Amino acid sequence: MVEADPLPLVVRDLSFQYRSRTEPAIVEISLELHPGEIMLLAGSSGCGKTTLLRCINGLIPHSYRGKLSGEILLYGQSNAGMKLAEISQKVGTLLQDPERQILGSYVLNEVCFGLENLGLPREEMIRRGEAALERLHILHLRDKETFGISGGEKQKVALAGVLAMQPKILLLDEPLASLDPASAHEALHLFRELADQGMAIMLVEHRVEDVLTIEPERIVYMEDGRICFHGDIQGLVQVVDYHRIKLPAQVVVERAKAEPQPNFEPAVPPLDTNNPLIEFQQVHFRYNDDAPEVLHNINLKIHAGEVIAILGHNGSGKTTLVKQALGLLKPTKGKVFLEGVETHTLTVAKAARTIGYVFQSPSQMLFAPTVKEELSFGPKNLGFDQETIARNVQWAIETVHLEDELLTPPLALSFGQQKRVSIAAVLSMRSRILMMDEPTAGQDYWNYQAFMDSILQMPGFDSIIFITHDLDLALIYANRIIVLNDGVIVADGKPVDVLQDRQKIKQWRLVATSLLELNFQMYPKTGKFLRAEALAQFMD
Amino acid sequence: MLVSWRYKYRNSPMDHIDPRARWIFSFAFLIAATSTWNWIFLLTYFIIALIWYRLGNTTWKETRSGWRLVLFMLFMMIVINTIITGGGAGGVVPPGGQLVWPNGFKLFGETVHFGLTIERIWFAFCQVLRILGISMNFILIPYTMDARSYGATFSSLGMPDKLAYTTELAIRFIPSLARNFSVTMDAQRARGFELDDIKGGIFNKIARMAPLIIPVTMNAILSSEDIADAMDLRGFGQGKRTWLYELRYHRWDYIVLGFSALLAIGGLVASYVFHMGDFIVPQFFYNLFA
Repeated sequence: MVEADPLPLVVRDLSFQYRSRTEPAIVEISLELHPGEIMLLAGSSGCGKTTLLRCINGLIPHSYRGKLSGEILLYGQSNAGMKLAEISQKVGTLLQDPERQILGSYVLNEVCFGLENLGLPREEMIRRGEAALERLHILHLRDKETFGISGGEKQKVALAGVLAMQPKILLLDEPLASLDPASAHEALHLFRELADQGMAIMLVEHRVEDVLTIEPERIVYMEDGRICFHGDIQGLVQVVDYHRIKLPAQVVVERAKAEPQPNFEPAVPPLDTNNPLIEFQQVHFRYNDDAPEVLHNINLKIHAGEVIAILGHNGSGKTTLVKQALGLLKPTKGKVFLEGVETHTLTVAKAARTIGYVFQSPSQMLFAPTVKEELSFGPKNLGFDQETIARNVQWAIETVHLEDELLTPPLALSFGQQKRVSIAAVLSMRSRILMMDEPTAGQDYWNYQAFMDSILQMPGFDSIIFITHDLDLALIYANRIIVLNDGVIVADGKPVDVLQDRQKIKQWRLVATSLLELNFQMYPKTGKFLRAEALAQFMD
Repeated sequence: MLVSWRYKYRNSPMDHIDPRARWIFSFAFLIAATSTWNWIFLLTYFIIALIWYRLGNTTWKETRSGWRLVLFMLFMMIVINTIITGGGAGGVVPPGGQLVWPNGFKLFGETVHFGLTIERIWFAFCQVLRILGISMNFILIPYTMDARSYGATFSSLGMPDKLAYTTELAIRFIPSLARNFSVTMDAQRARGFELDDIKGGIFNKIARMAPLIIPVTMNAILSSEDIADAMDLRGFGQGKRTWLYELRYHRWDYIVLGFSALLAIGGLVASYVFHMGDFIVPQFFYNLFA
């Protein structure tokens, strides 16, 4: 009798509680992963997905201490007695943010880092490193500096570094989080290709709808550290709460028919095109004399009553553009006006009275001992009185649903909560214009939709501007879309006009979503773009 | 993300010297320059450093931020410490000496007695030669040495692999920290925070810097945890490692190594065996004040 080959990964009754926590992060997890399979691991922030990956790749218990029970078998062998170097040759891990994973200053050095640690000869390292780059079609990046390549390229370089070690199991922790839609789809197809070549892949991702396009063989849905669903796509779309994870628009519409319709009315004032709040006149920008130009001849007026989504591929100049408005960057050529005053003559602190700008990464700004003090910082700098500060802080904290955390140190909160605190810290300044850079990055679906609803429904903002890679976010919330491509504004107008041409969408490295397609189908009836739940009322 | 110093290949003579030979030369220079206060030796070392610096073909624009820091420190050390208070000259310049203004000088109609001596001025000049010479050696490194070479170089010079790689990361941590500081500064300015507005005593100033210091420090800690995870996940520190960067000595490198040995050993012998390194003021300098 022939004995069957052991499975790449078997997890049995796995539980883990971090030393510093009172509750377990994961409880009695059991699952199996076969060669050539992709397993999608979905669930809201803090449900235990990352902890499960850490147990499999050995970071728990090697780097993170706590109470661990249960068993993990890698090709039939328990990982408990293995060294990390041994595990890393079987299990490759791609972390959420490639910027935090990349160590090498040049691409080939980064890709060969693991091979250096294995003590391989130089020729062998170069051969395997180049093979990994070739496999991901990025051999042309071989001698580039890692700092200078785009977000999507960084993700591929980090993956090449993992693949060079020739693992049989691949763990991917939210690999799409920082990618533009086209790069995300390229990455997904790459994962499918790797699985089809026999690799076993476990993929943690919030962007469930995107992952479904590559038809993962197994889907696991977790809540509060436990597996709530384990099955196939059909089972998932029937069982899981569509408010919690983003499902295809058709599925949501079907399921939402029986439920009360959401009531969403943005609170921005009516459009006033007479006096632009922000105006760009022939703006060019480069970071220094030797650097290439990042923005080319930008002409733009932003008015009261506009909710603007800025879209564009990784490195297209979106963040550079919005920083000009606040005066954090000054044009190399051309002029930027804020309420009629040229930003060259304004300090950033003065501009901050008009524009509230939420940075991409919350950890770059949070510092206070409590959330309350963090939220008071901006209004205090602007010279508000105590009563106004207290009122603003209360309003801001309610908007992001963190009322219970007012006395908590912001840095002790989860990433998603920190992101909401950073948004609240800017909301409390009650600026006339709110600018947000990737407000939904790293947030789960329910949370980001809830706070975007709250922000858009709060009176007080004349205009809201947000940078995003999420096309659905733009079409649900924005009444104007600006698309940047290589530092040039290539489209500017109403969402229905800008997103009409699918060919152009593709050129701009955006991807048409199921919600966009459904909205276009329903447009004769709706007359505007709506979220999937709201479209349900127009279905026959 | 860890960033690197602004290195670029210039096809300069420095680009063709092995990094190990360069580090050895710089440390040999440091030993020689710190073993003497004799102006003839220091002037000779300064000229050697200037030639070495010129081999790098760097421009002022590239290196000016580093030089600004050096010049600031030099100013504090020379003008405030040596010239005004006389503090830096203790132990080297003999007590007493010849006053520059024996009868004082007139300032706003008042006679001011300022105990500046000719010896202290000459000592300040020697300090300038020494500090500029050493700075020229080390400022050059980040701009002219390939960031990929650090770890392999340290390992080849005898450092344990783990320490060699972590030293490489530590060197790259400085520009990374500067980048994080700039991002945090922007984030806080966008919340109405102005560094210029910070008033009060030193403790108040430090306390009011918290919005900058805390996020930068926390980020440094968090990113070091991420780096440790990323290294662990790829088997770092589990055994003897090899290096992708290839180091190879050439004829020029042996000349540099020989010269380095001569510099360090010659400097030490001249100073400590033949006692030629003592501080002296040349007669022509006294004559200038006669």
